[in-house]
Amino acid sequence: MEIFDEVHGPSGVRPHYRQLMERLDTIGDADLADRFGLIESIFRTLGITFAVPGHENGLDRTWPMDLVPRIIPGDEWRHIEAGLIQRVTVLNRFLDDLYVGSQEAINDGIVPRWLIESADGYVREAHGIPAPGGSRCVVSGIDLVRDDEGTYRVLEDNLRIPSGISYVLENRVAMTRVLPVGFARHSIRPVDHYGASLLRALCAIAPPPVVEPTVVVLTPGVANSAYFEHSFLARQMGVELVEGRDLLVDDRHVYMRTTRGLKQVDVIYRRVEDEFLDPVVFRQDSLLGVPGLHGAARAGTVAIANAIGNGAADDKGVYPFVPALIEFYLGEKPILPNVTTYLPWEPDHLELILGRLDQLVVKPVAEAGGYGIVIGTDADEATLAATAKALQANPRGYIAQEIVQLSTHPTFVNGHLQPRHVDFRPFVLCGDGIEIVPGGLTRVALREGSLIVNSSQGGGSKDTWVLEDGLEDAVTTR
Amino acid sequence: MLSRHAEDLYWLGRYIERAEDTARMLDVTYHNLLESPAIDETRAWKELLEVLFLDAAYPGPLEGRDVSSYLVTERANQGSIISAVARARDNARGLRDGISTELWEAINVFYLELARADFEIDIERRAYEIFSSIRSRCQLVSGVAAQTMPRDEGYRFMLLGWMLERAEMTCRLLAVRYARLAGEEAEMGFHTWASVLKSVSAYEAYLKAHDASLNPTKVLEFLLLSQEFPRSVLYCLQLVERLLERLAESPQQTPVERAIGRVRARAEFCDISVIVNEGLDQFLEELQKEIYDVSEEVEEHFFRAGTDLQLHSYRWA
Amino acid sequence: MRLEIRYLNEFAYSQPAWESHNLLRACPAANDHQRVLSYRVDVTPTTPVHSYTDYWGTRVDEFGILEPHDNLRISAESVVENGPPHEPSEDAPIDSLAPLAGELSSYLRHSPHAVWDDLIHETAREAIEESEGVVEAVTRICDAVTASLKYETGATYVGMGVADVLSQGKGVCQDFAHLGIAMYRSVGIPARYVSGYLYAADQTVAEAPDDPELDVQTHAWLEVFVPGHGWWALDPTNPQPIGELHVKIGHGRDYEDVMPLRGVYHGGAEHDLGVHVSITRERLAQGTDQ
Repeated sequence: MEIFDEVHGPSGVRPHYRQLMERLDTIGDADLADRFGLIESIFRTLGITFAVPGHENGLDRTWPMDLVPRIIPGDEWRHIEAGLIQRVTVLNRFLDDLYVGSQEAINDGIVPRWLIESADGYVREAHGIPAPGGSRCVVSGIDLVRDDEGTYRVLEDNLRIPSGISYVLENRVAMTRVLPVGFARHSIRPVDHYGASLLRALCAIAPPPVVEPTVVVLTPGVANSAYFEHSFLARQMGVELVEGRDLLVDDRHVYMRTTRGLKQVDVIYRRVEDEFLDPVVFRQDSLLGVPGLHGAARAGTVAIANAIGNGAADDKGVYPFVPALIEFYLGEKPILPNVTTYLPWEPDHLELILGRLDQLVVKPVAEAGGYGIVIGTDADEATLAATAKALQANPRGYIAQEIVQLSTHPTFVNGHLQPRHVDFRPFVLCGDGIEIVPGGLTRVALREGSLIVNSSQGGGSKDTWVLEDGLEDAVTTR
Repeated sequence: MLSRHAEDLYWLGRYIERAEDTARMLDVTYHNLLESPAIDETRAWKELLEVLFLDAAYPGPLEGRDVSSYLVTERANQGSIISAVARARDNARGLRDGISTELWEAINVFYLELARADFEIDIERRAYEIFSSIRSRCQLVSGVAAQTMPRDEGYRFMLLGWMLERAEMTCRLLAVRYARLAGEEAEMGFHTWASVLKSVSAYEAYLKAHDASLNPTKVLEFLLLSQEFPRSVLYCLQLVERLLERLAESPQQTPVERAIGRVRARAEFCDISVIVNEGLDQFLEELQKEIYDVSEEVEEHFFRAGTDLQLHSYRWA
Repeated sequence: MRLEIRYLNEFAYSQPAWESHNLLRACPAANDHQRVLSYRVDVTPTTPVHSYTDYWGTRVDEFGILEPHDNLRISAESVVENGPPHEPSEDAPIDSLAPLAGELSSYLRHSPHAVWDDLIHETAREAIEESEGVVEAVTRICDAVTASLKYETGATYVGMGVADVLSQGKGVCQDFAHLGIAMYRSVGIPARYVSGYLYAADQTVAEAPDDPELDVQTHAWLEVFVPGHGWWALDPTNPQPIGELHVKIGHGRDYEDVMPLRGVYHGGAEHDLGVHVSITRERLAQGTDQ
């Protein structure tokens, strides 16, 4: 199958990459290797590491960033941006309609009711909890891939606690040190205002009468693998990073315990999962949450971002219905198409899936981080047989998709530039309106031929440059 | 600031001071025994454990090697140096944004050194090196803190813990040693008092201020009431009082300020000769109690709500 | 029948408790067969009580007590008037259930306290083998549950799986209800859990007591969906139809959704709980009380 390469087109290096590639040629592999070593030490000094699940006691690995940035031309970015705005607008509408509205989309049969009711992320206790402005997905991470024709497609929506934005910002910082960029005519759009934008979005969802809201970031604590990002975001926004035990609820208002007494909190950017948020309502053994928080949110005295229950919309089983939701709510065609998906709970789909199991990819609906994915073309007989059995036993637990040969991008591996598969996760902020910081997390599968880009599965990342409109040729590096 | 952060910083200060004091007292006891064979070894070690409130918990024989490992490397002992440093490190780790990177590194390196597998073997061969290296590690931590931390609320809480621990420790040292001194021979008294001074790094400072005759009353006065010596009880309490005034930031006097005012005044306006005549032990006991009250008030006023709580749940069938 | 229900839950802590947060579900449901004439919650120490209606339609009273306290007293008093049994007038064919599967999927899937295994499924399947209609099938399964378990207080604990309950052969009203729900769902009959009060001296015999005032306990039963009729209440703990003696609080997928009281508090204290429910039959002027 043809594979789309981000840099090399049918007639040579694509125009927006020319200067960069020339520059990399001049630098040479040896010098690049030196600079590559520098990245490691920069990240170690900055303390940017991530814990690998299953290696609790092991040392954290430093974040693997590749030397070669990904470049997205301005017009391409405008297309992506329009598609993301459209998609997140609809996902917000759908969720708000589900939890505080009349459930139009379900009543009209756009999404089957049973599908929502059987989604792990559907939270019945979220019914009646208001979200000011209907903004339930304040921060969304929408995973995009490019197929063999270079078309951007949505692979997955992350509407609960999408992570990775800290790497986007730190990648840029590291990149400017390692490969100093001449920002000639300011062609690369900056990303460092993310913290300010996030704070603005969070303030926008504050309960109505509050003028200068107190915003906090709620973390499960230092043991969490994304703690670095939590503390990074609190710093970027200049707000307090709190744990559940730092907050308390008094008569349906949330307060922070400070050395000057209790201080009311208006907006909580939580990085704690739904089921741990409030032991009174959810898991009673949770020490990470805040007793009474659910009641305060229901009373509308505090706003929680992202809203409770967003998992009803980013369930992989609901994903295939998003294009229909876009048509339903906006009367528009989706700007960014989905990947072709088959639903094992539909008997005819199941038949098709079982017949073509060795050509499809099967994903568990509830897993994240690339776990449990079976790529038919790579799987052995035993795995395929086990997958077939699992699909038949629990059809609602999986979806199957056509394998998208993700686009490749030259990546510095073992001292040379080699093509590796990449995906792209832009971060969409939704407060008063929708804002997307130009860029995002480009993840790269460091193993040759691999399509799994998750950092927990041996993936790396790239700085992602979005160019100003009409300045495709303007990137120069020193 | 968040109560939890303030409390973590407060305890960080206390733990480091505790580690330092423990190391210093171990060092002095150890070397006293080497220098003066006449001293009853069992009693010396027992006394040390008493000062540290660990005499009841200590399970082993009253010998230098056992007591030393119990106080330095025994993780099961909550009062050991390694436990104190480990907890200081835990606190520091959770406070990464609230302390300087240099301070974190100083504490982390300290811990890693103590946690080294061969540390225990070392203790038998190189006691002096180890005790002094622990002391200098602690001093490095306090020095780095002083050099790199902004003088903000967090710094004040750290210093507050540091000073309260120090004041308490000096009181305890005096109380235990005084109880024993009552019936001492003059000559024995000299060694005891010299070791008391050394235990708080005050020997040289004392000699500078007075002379080598080591008049017990003067030693007491120096350790309790010196306005210049930074480890004297009064010096610590005065600093605590200034810190609390800033931290409480209240036009009215808060209970915590009243508590520190009370104990500081008791120390500042006491007459040492009267105390010695009327009973030092009782005075020290009251002083300790009042210092303890200050700690209680600090927790109540600033942290109470932020303590790490157990959460229980009930469901009804 | 008009009943006055007094629900009282008391906690005595050996050491003070603080920052206690609680949700109470003790208010009788208002529906076609049951009218709520009054309802009142009192909490000591005094604290604001807020109420809302949850996803399942049950009234929830929410309250917190921040200050340290040695005792907690929660009282909920209600007066309800309910009517006679409401049985399905005619049976519905089994296959009339299939089209409802999507709409009622929540009541057809496993839920934490109603997870069935092969044995439960098999027992249910055998029970309805020759049934021609839903009502018949429902009745047979209900009888099967009643026959499978012996009522015994303290034989089970909260969270014990229904499969274990079945193999043990004894349980309390909650276990009867959960086992029944699991059996119904395993054969595709939508079923839900009901929490409520039973005005009877013995939980296993739904007979109106002689004494107008009676100390009782809260009770649990179930409802199944019958096409053409709607939700039909049955009590597997009792063979009798559900009528004026049962006062419904609310329903859900299982116990978890309609727990009478749940909460958390700080403090290392032991707690000593005592729940008392007493029900008084009110004398009505026109003798509508039968």
